[in-house]
Amino acid sequence: MSAEPERRQRLLQMAAGAAFLVLAIVLVLIVVNSTSGGGGDTTIDEAAEVNRSLDGIPQNQMVLGDPKAPVELVEFGDLQCPVCAGYAKEILPPIIENQVKKGEVKIDFRNLTIISEESIPAGAAALAAGEQGRGWNYLELFYRNQGEERSGYVTDEFMEAVAKAAGVKDLARWNQDRKQLTGEVEKTTAEAQQLGFNGTPSFAVEGPGTKGLELLGTPESTGALEEAIADAS
Amino acid sequence: MKTTSFPSEWTLQRAIAFVAALGIGVATYIAIADSGGGSPVCIAGGHGCATVAKSSYSHVAGVNIAVFGIVGYVLLLASAFFANDAARLGGFAVALGGFGYSVFLTYLEIFKIEAICQWCVASAVLMTILFLLNATRLIGYAGTEEGLHARERRA
Repeated sequence: MSAEPERRQRLLQMAAGAAFLVLAIVLVLIVVNSTSGGGGDTTIDEAAEVNRSLDGIPQNQMVLGDPKAPVELVEFGDLQCPVCAGYAKEILPPIIENQVKKGEVKIDFRNLTIISEESIPAGAAALAAGEQGRGWNYLELFYRNQGEERSGYVTDEFMEAVAKAAGVKDLARWNQDRKQLTGEVEKTTAEAQQLGFNGTPSFAVEGPGTKGLELLGTPESTGALEEAIADAS
Repeated sequence: MKTTSFPSEWTLQRAIAFVAALGIGVATYIAIADSGGGSPVCIAGGHGCATVAKSSYSHVAGVNIAVFGIVGYVLLLASAFFANDAARLGGFAVALGGFGYSVFLTYLEIFKIEAICQWCVASAVLMTILFLLNATRLIGYAGTEEGLHARERRA
């Protein structure tokens, strides 16, 4: 074995320098990440598409559509519910595109939390976005970026990323509001249960052709919902 | 200066090759699961793997970080086949970078993503072992001709 003390010393010095450099880089990365606002780094898909599709439609809290629309369609949903996400993607868009945009119908989303405890902060976050006129943008984007039920994906980071993508302007206010709106989520959940709803999404409709709020359950198609709306008109 | 308390370089090389091969397997599985539009399945249950895979931290410049992991493990495997200072220092540098990045990713999982992916933890453990093996190899054998050549001479 022919050790070369100088060469060896130089190699070890280089290694020590590299180790120090890597340690410094890792520390800087951690510090930068820990001070970057605690969220908003999750990728949110379909933001442009969703925001464009809702552009120009009035939103008042969680009500989408002209406040004077004669018919109100009430949807009780859970943001973690994949079936609700399916309705948001497939069943409701034609109704939003036609009847809601024409001012014939308004849709009121109300939370009915059935999946897990995480549905409560998720629902409150939507309501808080609704306080800034972006409730439906939040709702639609949450559904389109939904993770698996009860998988723990409903983190502050995820919800903040959805809020940003939904166009919520005042995130500090949104953060404050969402903490105060969990009671509202529990209230509408109790309301739905009193109506006899125990699955999501559940719908009800009210209009000139109904005697108060008429329960629809879970209509299986756009056509069935359109028919109920026509009956209520 | 080699001391007798170090395992032989040949032993370290074999250990590095073995652990790097395991790392290639883990990183390849994560990359394949991601390329199919899904996410790695957590063997011990839970959904941490899906949550981590869905986070923006799982990709750098559009490339899944598991791909970088594969490259790192392949380089480490290659370094195990040579017993010279370039391989010792190169192996140490790659393992050091991989270890540092693993520490950062583990921090992200715990404090930012708030989910643990068992496959990512497995890779972090393997990279930590590789870092220790390569550091031992460098400290014990830098500037020497120990290792394969010495073994060949002994044979």
